[in-house]
Amino acid sequence: MSERRLLYFTSSSHQLYAWRAGKLELEGDFSDNEEGVAEFQKFAKLHSKSLYYILADLAGEDFHDEMIPWLRGNDRQAVIERRLAQRYRDTRLAAAISLGAIAVTGERRNERLLLASFTNTQQFSPWLDALAGAGAKLAGVYSVPLVAPSVAARLAAKVGTKNNRLFVVSMNSAGLRQTFLEEGKLRFARLERTGEMDAEALAAFVRSETLRLVQYLSSLRVLPRDGPPITAIVVCPAGQRAVFEHLLPSDGRLTFRTIELPEAARAAGVKRADGIGAEQLYLHLVAKRAPKDQFARSEDRKGFLLWQFQRGVVAAGALGLAACVLFAGVKWIEVLAIRDQTSIQQGETKSAEQEYQRVTSTFPVTLTTTENLKATVNEFRSIAARSAVPGPALAYISRALEQFPQIELDQLSWQAERPGAAEKPAAVDPSKPILAGAPPAASSSPAAVSTVGEFAQTLEISGHVNSTQRSDYRAITAQVQSFADALQVDRSYEVVRTQLPFDTTSAGTLSGDIGSSEGGDTPRFTITLLRKSTK
Amino acid sequence: MNFTAAEFRKLILPTIVALVLTAAGAALIWFVNGQLLRANATFSGVKNDRIQARERLARISEEEREVKERIEVYRRLRDLHIIGKERRLDWADAIQRIRVQREMLDVRYRIEPQKTLMSIPGKPGKVDFNASSMKMELALLHEGDLLTFLDDLRNAGNAYVSVRRCLITRSGTAASPPGTPTLTPRLRAECQVDLITVMDGGAKA
Repeated sequence: MSERRLLYFTSSSHQLYAWRAGKLELEGDFSDNEEGVAEFQKFAKLHSKSLYYILADLAGEDFHDEMIPWLRGNDRQAVIERRLAQRYRDTRLAAAISLGAIAVTGERRNERLLLASFTNTQQFSPWLDALAGAGAKLAGVYSVPLVAPSVAARLAAKVGTKNNRLFVVSMNSAGLRQTFLEEGKLRFARLERTGEMDAEALAAFVRSETLRLVQYLSSLRVLPRDGPPITAIVVCPAGQRAVFEHLLPSDGRLTFRTIELPEAARAAGVKRADGIGAEQLYLHLVAKRAPKDQFARSEDRKGFLLWQFQRGVVAAGALGLAACVLFAGVKWIEVLAIRDQTSIQQGETKSAEQEYQRVTSTFPVTLTTTENLKATVNEFRSIAARSAVPGPALAYISRALEQFPQIELDQLSWQAERPGAAEKPAAVDPSKPILAGAPPAASSSPAAVSTVGEFAQTLEISGHVNSTQRSDYRAITAQVQSFADALQVDRSYEVVRTQLPFDTTSAGTLSGDIGSSEGGDTPRFTITLLRKSTK
Repeated sequence: MNFTAAEFRKLILPTIVALVLTAAGAALIWFVNGQLLRANATFSGVKNDRIQARERLARISEEEREVKERIEVYRRLRDLHIIGKERRLDWADAIQRIRVQREMLDVRYRIEPQKTLMSIPGKPGKVDFNASSMKMELALLHEGDLLTFLDDLRNAGNAYVSVRRCLITRSGTAASPPGTPTLTPRLRAECQVDLITVMDGGAKA
């Protein structure tokens, strides 16, 4: 943080104060001549990194009410500069203080301004040039009246007044400073020289000068003639409050509130300012929180504005970092919360696993792990459920065969099919007749046997019919059909194909040799039987 | 008011500082976001573990019942040497013994190389179900001989016998020619069976 230095500029002296953490320390008193300016420049060169504030406390200060159209931005600035140029010959040190908007019925909205400057700005030029020559940063040129609203706000709170019209009267080194404020804004001020006076004389002087100021403002119609009493806050020297209160009685025009300088300094936040008059209040507030309005042009404050811009850029970066840190902090709290939750969950998992181990340790002694035990037995059961032996199927066929002594078997094929294995339909020779049962493709369709948990046994029975003439197709067909029907008594069995030794379909060829010898090969038939099981 | 080039140069260092500060902040957010993602991922995994552990604990009584039920089956399989390595010599001995005991005629067999039927992941080791396919040719006096043979083979243990297919063919007459002391088979059977054994990777010695 750069050091702050304040030049208290009066017509008779130029005192330089250093402001350090609320304390004002006199560092130099420069005479109002070339030597004094040179000495000041030399000092400023040595402390060029400091910020310099000039607080003028001069009698020749002009205040002028002005009204401009309600504008914003560059337009407003241009109008103000034009008005200042019209009002003052030298605008190097001039200020326009906004007094707020004013709307007159039927007219456009306007803004009231208080134009302020010094009657002799040339007296500042050598000092401003000295600062510029020293490469020091001029923060601004202020006058005591510009700072008076800040002082008044603190003192009004201290003395407990809420009047919207105030006089602030203080005994500065430069003289008796009177400032008139309306609605907290500067309206008028004047400085009256004071010589060596005792307390009674000074109090009487305060009273007479304040009444004169009231009369003057009333004549200008700044104050209403029959308004309520105006509060005048008087900052008197230490130890003189009783005298001031006695000699400053309130009346119908003025209500005096007296406060001693040390008490006023405390109210303004001054920590130490030994041997300094009431200007310490204004100096302190300029250093601590300088008012927005001041007199110097941007060109004279360029070093300060550049410094502000540099600080602004770094501050923006710091603000960005702070925002990121804040955001990251919130996220980090979230991370910590999740880690806590994770830790709790891990603890619960471990606890559950330990409990599981404890309980399983009481299980019967096994020859393998629990998981492998289950896997082995479950899968073995599944395999066993899909297995079969041919015995029951052979016994079933044998019982059916007992009813047909004329039928003799030549070959029997038994096959157990795992799920899916029977999905392939049995090969059907289209040249061979299909007599009974559903169409083979439908009977042995995947849907019929591929369901999980199902398996099928396929039996293919080949045989021939005895005691029947070879040419008696009807009798042979009837015998085979009856045998096939007998094989389906149990509903779990299904004849899926019956193949006769001859073709009786319209598409085939049927031949016969009736009356000739009945020798030759015995005609054979084939029946395919399917047994579906659900385990 | 305008700044000169020299004055603008005085803004370079503050601008760099501001950028570094902002970048540091962004890096911090990036780092914390990474930590957050990692913490969330870990939390999800741990949460799943906890749910599984709790569910397993909740199922423990059912598991105990299952273990009790299955342990007897497992012991039986191990006693029958269905669980364990293949015992091909024992298979050969069993076939020979059955043939003699049942006074069967010709018995021919051929056992193919072992194949893995299925492999089930387990803990600490997997469970492999292996199958060796055996083709047999039997000369039978009647079909009962085949059924008896298969029953005896299954009861002999050392493997689970799963019959895949059998083809029984009439081969001749039952009676031998007069004066012939030996019996002539009436039927021939060709069968294929799977001899299934189990290798349990978690079996205790």
